[in-house]
Amino acid sequence: MQPRLSVDITRRLDHLTLRMQFQVEAEILVLFGPSGAGKTQTLQAIAGLMTPDEGMISLGDTVLFRRRQGETPINLPPRRRRVGYVFQHYALFPHMTALENVAFPLGNSAQARRRAYELLDRMHLAHLAQRKPHELSGGQQQRVAIARALATDSPVILFDESFSALDQPVRDRLHADLRALQAERGLIVIYVTHNLDDAFAVGRRIAIVREGQIEQIGPLAEVCRYPANVRVARVLGMANLITAQVIGIDLDRVWLDWQGWRIAAALPPQPPALGATVTAFIRPEEIWLVYPDRPLTRFADHNLLPGRIVEQWPGRRLFQLRIAVGEIMLEIAHPYTAYADLGITAGNEVQISFHPESVVIVPAASHATHDLRSHPPDHIRHAGISG
Amino acid sequence: MNWPAFWLSLQVTAFATFFIFVIGLPIALLLARTAFPGQIVVETLLMLPLILPPSVIGYYLLLALGRGSPIVEWFQIRILFSWPAAVVAAVVVGLPLMIQSSKAALANVDPRLEQAARTLGASELRIITRITLPLARRGIVAGIVLGGARALGEFGATLMVTGNIPGRTQTLPVAIYDAVQAQRYADANLMVLVMTAVAFVGLWWVRQLERPRPVPVATQITTQEETDATALVR
Repeated sequence: MQPRLSVDITRRLDHLTLRMQFQVEAEILVLFGPSGAGKTQTLQAIAGLMTPDEGMISLGDTVLFRRRQGETPINLPPRRRRVGYVFQHYALFPHMTALENVAFPLGNSAQARRRAYELLDRMHLAHLAQRKPHELSGGQQQRVAIARALATDSPVILFDESFSALDQPVRDRLHADLRALQAERGLIVIYVTHNLDDAFAVGRRIAIVREGQIEQIGPLAEVCRYPANVRVARVLGMANLITAQVIGIDLDRVWLDWQGWRIAAALPPQPPALGATVTAFIRPEEIWLVYPDRPLTRFADHNLLPGRIVEQWPGRRLFQLRIAVGEIMLEIAHPYTAYADLGITAGNEVQISFHPESVVIVPAASHATHDLRSHPPDHIRHAGISG
Repeated sequence: MNWPAFWLSLQVTAFATFFIFVIGLPIALLLARTAFPGQIVVETLLMLPLILPPSVIGYYLLLALGRGSPIVEWFQIRILFSWPAAVVAAVVVGLPLMIQSSKAALANVDPRLEQAARTLGASELRIITRITLPLARRGIVAGIVLGGARALGEFGATLMVTGNIPGRTQTLPVAIYDAVQAQRYADANLMVLVMTAVAFVGLWWVRQLERPRPVPVATQITTQEETDATALVR
């Protein structure tokens, strides 16, 4: 069976208390959150560079760290954990060549050098093996650092804002490489970032970290579809957050009063109370402009609203519009050629429409959605044994 | 030219430099890598020989090496008024320079590199020998050269603890003093020239070592590893 990295730690820091509980299998888990939320400290605890106050970290059957009441404390030193760690500023040894850097965890034998060379080759750097770090570009240095982390033969590799100093195209390529590498070797990867684009580029599972705790953890698509609360929606960069009042609930619809308009929204997993004020968001890509001379689609009769174009600008992938609907500005993103015939100019009056499924109601109360795969809390397990 | 004094100076300097290195490096490592209560007091005491008048150092050494001191009474080490006493004096005055320079260089080694080495399975000893010392190499060598040059030029304390016995404990700086006193200026000129040349070469070498290497643009870490000369006189 694939080993599983299990983390359950507490640590008081200067400005917050770190409380982390999650599991990672052979996959890429993104720890996403603002700077200073405790992401780096979590990685350091796993690697053994920082000691938690309490808790347990284990990899498969091996306990890396344990400090709990009534149990023998265990704290393996970093060198015996051999958890691969890729630092933000590469941390390559400047006095060694690329090859010597990669061979460092392997020793001095000829076989070590051969293996190091293979790993460099895997990272497409065999031709630069004899270069010193300062003779390499940032992207190349980071590849050396990844090869060096792989050389530890650890099933776990931690990326601490590893690519944030690199240019976007280099970063894109490294992300693709990282995904391939993970799949090829069945690695357990934790990828820390405060950059939303990076999070989406590598992660299939994401943990939203805020003030030392995980707000929500789950598959990326699911977290985006159902943010646990408004804060998660905000850090995920959800545009078009609106507040509206619940005026009716159906089998599969919630009817909202938004600025006097009646709009339909998807029924969320936890239905809101009738009359409650809720926060919802509408994805910018899922708002359509309506051609006045063309038949409406099935759903457009529900959520059909008048608006006025305020601003328009070309985006990286989609064309961006800002449209005033009543008092509120909505962002819209659409393919470049979608509305070629419509004459989109600032000041024009248009009609917009969106599917009810595109209106997602966010639970108001802050309650973390726990990882479905996590174990039940430990006191429950122990209760059965001691009783 | 007073050849016996020249050779004795070389001998004393060689021994002194060895001890300066062997004693100074562990102290520098300790001071750069750990924090302990009273560290400032210890550091200040270690730096004291830099500013104390040589006669004060000489007097302390007379007390330490003379009759009644534990070194003589318990360990039976009697070196006063022999050439090893000159070595002791040279070590005492050269050590602060070695410690200052090495400590600054060791403290400048990015701790993240050591952390990285730890995650790569290296023991603390391997980290010191493969990462820390090689990266601080230039500051350490500079410290050895500075300490050795200071040892070569040691005069006042040496005069007091060796007794200035020509041919047996008279080092070059002391011989120069004697030559001037005796108005043997030809002798003095030559010896002064030799001393100046040695000092010049030593300092020039240190400056070469301290000259920043071309700073690579891509790495932020390597820029921090340069030995900052100003840190020496902090």
